[in-house]
Amino acid sequence: MANESKFSEQESLQLIAEMIKKAKGSYHDSGIGSLLWGAVVSIASFVSYLQREYNFSLMIDIWWLVFAAIVPQIYISMREKKNLKAKQFDDDVINAVWLVFGISIFALSFYQNIVPIQTEKIINQEGWTMTKHYLDGLKPDETIQPFTPSLYSIYILIYAFPTMVTGLVKKFMPMKIGAIMTYGLFMLSLFTESKYDMLLGSAAALICWFIPGVILRRKYLAQTRTNV
Amino acid sequence: MFKELDPILHSQLRLAVMSLLISVKEAEFTFIREKTNASAGNLSVQVQKLKDAGYIEVVKQFKDNYPQTTCKITPEGIQAFEEYVKALQQYLKV
Repeated sequence: MANESKFSEQESLQLIAEMIKKAKGSYHDSGIGSLLWGAVVSIASFVSYLQREYNFSLMIDIWWLVFAAIVPQIYISMREKKNLKAKQFDDDVINAVWLVFGISIFALSFYQNIVPIQTEKIINQEGWTMTKHYLDGLKPDETIQPFTPSLYSIYILIYAFPTMVTGLVKKFMPMKIGAIMTYGLFMLSLFTESKYDMLLGSAAALICWFIPGVILRRKYLAQTRTNV
Repeated sequence: MFKELDPILHSQLRLAVMSLLISVKEAEFTFIREKTNASAGNLSVQVQKLKDAGYIEVVKQFKDNYPQTTCKITPEGIQAFEEYVKALQQYLKV
């Protein structure tokens, strides 16, 4: 397209269509963020399940792995922003959705840790305790600590939300399918014991982020090879 | 009666630039050059013409010690592009 040549109306329309297609097809997420979060959330959930199933503990809380992943994520985001040559209209929307997701997960983890402690304080002030009572009377009553029942189901529900929005806005089928399946896992988790919710959460992270991340990465590398 | 095609837009490279910019929020000069396969010199001239017509905004800045030129379509540019496409459709009876 070196010359400023005049051309026919038909050629004009063809050129417009071609350029719009080029612009739309120019952008592929590198997939690294999806791979990172898919891997860490899946591993943390799966290890949590194993800890509950086989009754063992680790030196540190495995969920610190998820918090630690924020550091490489910041680096990845900065590098991707630096390499970005064109900004799409929906980039700001997608970034806002994932930011809100991050805040919501962070807030939910606070809820999970603070609510039982506060509840215990309140019931201690009121002078009563929570007791596990066996109806058949074969075991004595046990005093139990307040807890947030089946909270991991809510995490699974929240995993699906930004994934679905991204899938719909970017018209990326693997994320749409991942989100729909995760809504299914959320429903399933309502009927399962909380330790199995962890297992379902691990599967949700794989289908929401890790598998779409693998697909995005392949597309990105294929596009990079084409551009070289 | 056919509407006259906007002479600023009815040029291969300028129309290519506008078609790219209408599809994205903003784009770097290097991105436009890569997609249009135009030479830097020719592209600079056409970008300047579009800027002079008020169809695009051009921001020149430094990023990591390198000059960076970013282009963005203006509301006037969007309107002109839409009118151009309408006029084309009239010609072609699409």
